[in-house]
Amino acid sequence: MTSYSKEVIRDLAAGTLPWPQTKRIMSAYKDDDRFFKIVEVHQDRVSWKERILLPVGDHLFIVQGKKARVTKCECGHEFGHYKKNWKLQANIHVRNTRKALRELYPNNDIPNPDWMEIREFLCPSCGTLHEVEACAPGYPIVHDFEPDLEAFYRDWLKQPLPKE
Amino acid sequence: MNMLEKIQDALPLRDRLIESEKMMKETGCYDGVTELTLRKQDPLKFETLHTKLRASCVSAREMARRISASPGVREVGEMVVAIYTPEGDAIALSNGIMVHVHTMSRFIKWMIKEGYEANPGIRDGDIFANNDAFIGTVQVPDVMDVIPIFHGDELVGWAGAVCHELESGGITPGGDVCLAQERFTEGLFVCAEKIGENDEIRRDYVIRCERNLRMPIYWVLDEKAKVASCIDMRESVRAIINEIGIEYWRRVMKEFIEEGRRGQLLRTQQLTVPGIYRGHTFYGHVTEGKPGFQPLGPSNWLYNIPIEMGISTGGKITLDFEGTQPWGYHSMNCTPAGMDGGMFVTLTQHMNYEGLVNDGAWMATELKLPHGTWTNPDNEMVATATSWALLLPAYGVFQRLLSRGFLARGFVEEVFVGQVNSPMIEMGGTSQYGTPFGMAHFECAAAGSGALAIKDGLDTAYVGWNPESDMGNIEIWEQNMPMLYLGRSILPNSGGAGKFRGGCSFISTWLINKTNHLRLVTSEHSSRVFDNAGMCGGYPAPTCQMHRSVRKTNIKELIKKQKPLPHGIGIDPNHSDLEKLVTGVHETSEGPYITAPHKSGDIFTHAYNGGGGFGDVLERDPIKTASDVENGFLTAQAAVQVFGIVLMEDTHGTLQADLAATAKLRKTMRARRLKKSVPVSQWMKAERTRVNAAGFVIEVTRMYASAMKLSKRFTKDFNSFWGLKSNFMYKVED
Repeated sequence: MTSYSKEVIRDLAAGTLPWPQTKRIMSAYKDDDRFFKIVEVHQDRVSWKERILLPVGDHLFIVQGKKARVTKCECGHEFGHYKKNWKLQANIHVRNTRKALRELYPNNDIPNPDWMEIREFLCPSCGTLHEVEACAPGYPIVHDFEPDLEAFYRDWLKQPLPKE
Repeated sequence: MNMLEKIQDALPLRDRLIESEKMMKETGCYDGVTELTLRKQDPLKFETLHTKLRASCVSAREMARRISASPGVREVGEMVVAIYTPEGDAIALSNGIMVHVHTMSRFIKWMIKEGYEANPGIRDGDIFANNDAFIGTVQVPDVMDVIPIFHGDELVGWAGAVCHELESGGITPGGDVCLAQERFTEGLFVCAEKIGENDEIRRDYVIRCERNLRMPIYWVLDEKAKVASCIDMRESVRAIINEIGIEYWRRVMKEFIEEGRRGQLLRTQQLTVPGIYRGHTFYGHVTEGKPGFQPLGPSNWLYNIPIEMGISTGGKITLDFEGTQPWGYHSMNCTPAGMDGGMFVTLTQHMNYEGLVNDGAWMATELKLPHGTWTNPDNEMVATATSWALLLPAYGVFQRLLSRGFLARGFVEEVFVGQVNSPMIEMGGTSQYGTPFGMAHFECAAAGSGALAIKDGLDTAYVGWNPESDMGNIEIWEQNMPMLYLGRSILPNSGGAGKFRGGCSFISTWLINKTNHLRLVTSEHSSRVFDNAGMCGGYPAPTCQMHRSVRKTNIKELIKKQKPLPHGIGIDPNHSDLEKLVTGVHETSEGPYITAPHKSGDIFTHAYNGGGGFGDVLERDPIKTASDVENGFLTAQAAVQVFGIVLMEDTHGTLQADLAATAKLRKTMRARRLKKSVPVSQWMKAERTRVNAAGFVIEVTRMYASAMKLSKRFTKDFNSFWGLKSNFMYKVED
């Protein structure tokens, strides 16, 4: 069975693993213990102690909180219960003018802000930009991901999931 | 009683297909194959045989590319071939435009269900062709040929080949017939037709092609290439059957597909997380004031494409397009065959990179395509000539949804922000040789890709529809069109910004040459809205670049005086290099390019799309960015303004990142963006008033109105999100 060290997975996730090694990993059979390794890598990186149950973004995790499972930023900020859309608890910056769009696209053509806006969802504590939506004005905010955490642990990982 | 009903009892092939589908429904396994007995008996023989079949497909395609005269097939590989079961399910396939492996499957099944075995008959040596998307293809230029494979008197399979034709004889030249608003203007249709017997294409069919196409040499020689590849595969299959015996063949082809189906389910379980994934994209169709468009529907149309993906614990992937827009009087509609094809080609790139790649993977998925939408029109007269316009953004969403699963599972190296649209330029009129001509320019087969979660996207090296991306050589294209390249260059900042940026695209700048009648037409061109996106904080790549053209130029004078010539549009958004260097009648136009013919001496630019970014821009590597600026992928302005990276020149004049200044600037930018932001709840309160009052331009209101008209779920979700009354609906006059 293919398996890599935690250090290799750490460098892979950081984008610092040399390309020939990365390429070999991409081309090889997948490592069945990857999930556990990546969780260890993330857990080592964060400053808080709550157990990571699932990464859902580049700096966003579902964790086993003291009272409930919550979506949590790498900085420690909590966005509420993991079944609720974390974006609704985030800060938002909307680019819906030509000037605001031009800041991001200094030379290329930009969309018509009457037809389309950019929404930036930020962590209210650390200011990390977690997600960007490009959509028509008035479009409901998307709930990107509702994982079936129980089934994932029970049926696929065959591991116990701590009770809420 | 019609003829087919009279002979119903004598359709064993159709009965077999119906039986196969019934067995799949009853057992959940392909054709009722619940045990992989041959695989168990001798796995090496089993695997080796599939490899042989795949090798025969790859070899047949390569051989056929040398027969083709079309630069689309020869240069950029716009072709795929595959081997099928008698019921029309793909067993093995070549590389190339794999989207058509499953669309051909639909074509074969359509003929079987229509009783072709009785009339016109299915015999050894027959050649059948099709380019009707409602029978089984994506768009009119995707012309497919299949031939039956017989062993003695027994039909034991099919060989099939597809080439994307560069000219299909529609109302506008090329294959992606931009101006087609109904089926009747899309060009030459071949509707599941027997076009040859005894391995020979019928002369009357060739005559029809010669008299209905602007550039028949491409189509006709491609037909010969396809038939040659099919015969090659047929003979390979016959040789294999002679080696392994017919009994083994009958069983093993079914086991190959069932193995493919099981492999797909297992890979989903291995690489993702069960649950519900959601995403969306948009497309802006702008034709207002453009000549030629009939007033059959709205001239401007904003398309929303929401997708909900479900992954079950069994590993089944379901894609649901509920809430998207209705079909329209334009060429961007798609048929279920095209949607299937999009699914197949995307899966093949992302999950089926090992094991037995065939139709089995597709059988482990389900598409929910609401009737009456562009994904599944309830009117077979609609045009589908540019269905890629909506299909590509849609499957870009699918790639991001899958990628969320890969990320959650820890397979970060598989996370891919996805494909982008392929703005196509096509042309016709009088060639540089003084002859009539028409063709699609296929350098679009090399766009920028979305970023990965561990590295930047590919620059000018990826499209979703042909993973074997290639833009073709300039010199070959120049042989085939009356335009010379003034430049083909990287478009700076054309990848979406992010910790890892999207791949950059390129822009071509042409000088029209040796013709006084060149019609230029473009399509798949969303310049008013983003039809791509970023992921995890990454931004979308820019919208499609508008077209810049100059007529009545002083280019001859510039050349004579050896003055600087424009090689692109430059990086000044207010004044392009064309405006700075060339005098003449300058025009900038958005959306599809439809205008009066161009003449020698005119200049025209056409750009392709870059991919979306991944991750927070403020985390981008400053050293890599310095290299990007040096090499023209990013500008110094973007480095500092978008990424917060301060660059300086060293004593040798080489750009270096100032890490201390960068850290300081980024701290300021992070604080500034936080200060500009507000809690979502606060924003929603203000925004709700606008939503309630329909404070949008007509195109946005119309988009909501038509989505609500078609989908109760969209209406419910929309009203629930904004806290509106449950019966709230937007209404716009049709």
